[in-house]
Amino acid sequence: MNPVAVVAILSGLVAFAAALGLLWKSRTGRVRTTNSANSVDLPEVPLAGRATLLQFSTEVCAPCVPTRRVLGQIAESTDGVTHVDLDLTHRPDIAARFNVLQTPTTLILDRAGVIRARIGGAPRQADVRAALETILAA
Amino acid sequence: MTDSTKGIDPRGPRFGAAITGVLLLVVIGLWLSGLTVAALIVFAYITLVFAWGAFAGVKRHPYGLFFKAVIRPRLSPPTELEDPTPPTFAQGVGLVITLIGLLLSLIPGVELALPIAAALAFIAAFLNSVFAYCLGCQIYLLLVRIGLLGRKHGTPAAA
Repeated sequence: MNPVAVVAILSGLVAFAAALGLLWKSRTGRVRTTNSANSVDLPEVPLAGRATLLQFSTEVCAPCVPTRRVLGQIAESTDGVTHVDLDLTHRPDIAARFNVLQTPTTLILDRAGVIRARIGGAPRQADVRAALETILAA
Repeated sequence: MTDSTKGIDPRGPRFGAAITGVLLLVVIGLWLSGLTVAALIVFAYITLVFAWGAFAGVKRHPYGLFFKAVIRPRLSPPTELEDPTPPTFAQGVGLVITLIGLLLSLIPGVELALPIAAALAFIAAFLNSVFAYCLGCQIYLLLVRIGLLGRKHGTPAAA
């Protein structure tokens, strides 16, 4: 293959990887509200207060640590909101039950444990606060 | 899990991924230019370094040690230290992809496995280096759920 074609293919590969990265970055951490009546009823998740931030983590997840801090701060500064971090490294049953494919995944539960919103990837503080406001106001 | 006394500078693995990514482009470039033996040698070296990172842990990774000794002293201190487990897991994923590609490419008729595996590994290394993409976050639970990982630790379904 001539050098020009080789360089063209390599450039194409780099551009493809960059496009994938930008696509991932634009989608990760987005809050999606859910309309289903699915609720969380786990002994590991005590439903205390008006809303629960349920975070799913694993041991091989670097952004789970800062996510824990972000959600912990929100829970601490918002009345009636609790944060629960569940490690799914050895709990494929829970991962399957809530269809968790990536970590961190965060579910926002209302006082009855109904899943009101879902966030795949590291959540942004302002987005979570906005979603909580809607859920708490309802 | 995270221990600030045991944590690593998160820029270390990203620096290593950048080197690996460039070398993977070299492999693909050599292979496309018809220099398949040279491509195989560089690819085998990359596979070996992945094995080192996966088995010895990312804290003893050669590029990580170079980063720590030469690059890190010239940078501002990291804002946060990270657990070495996620990047070590990513090294293991890199090892599996490159090893499969390496072995398949030795079989006559499927030589194309080498540039394909190199391209897949390049995409992962690029995303990791440029976007801080966390491979373990995206595929660990997937591998557990299709039964390739973690079954021995599996706990029966919760009530």
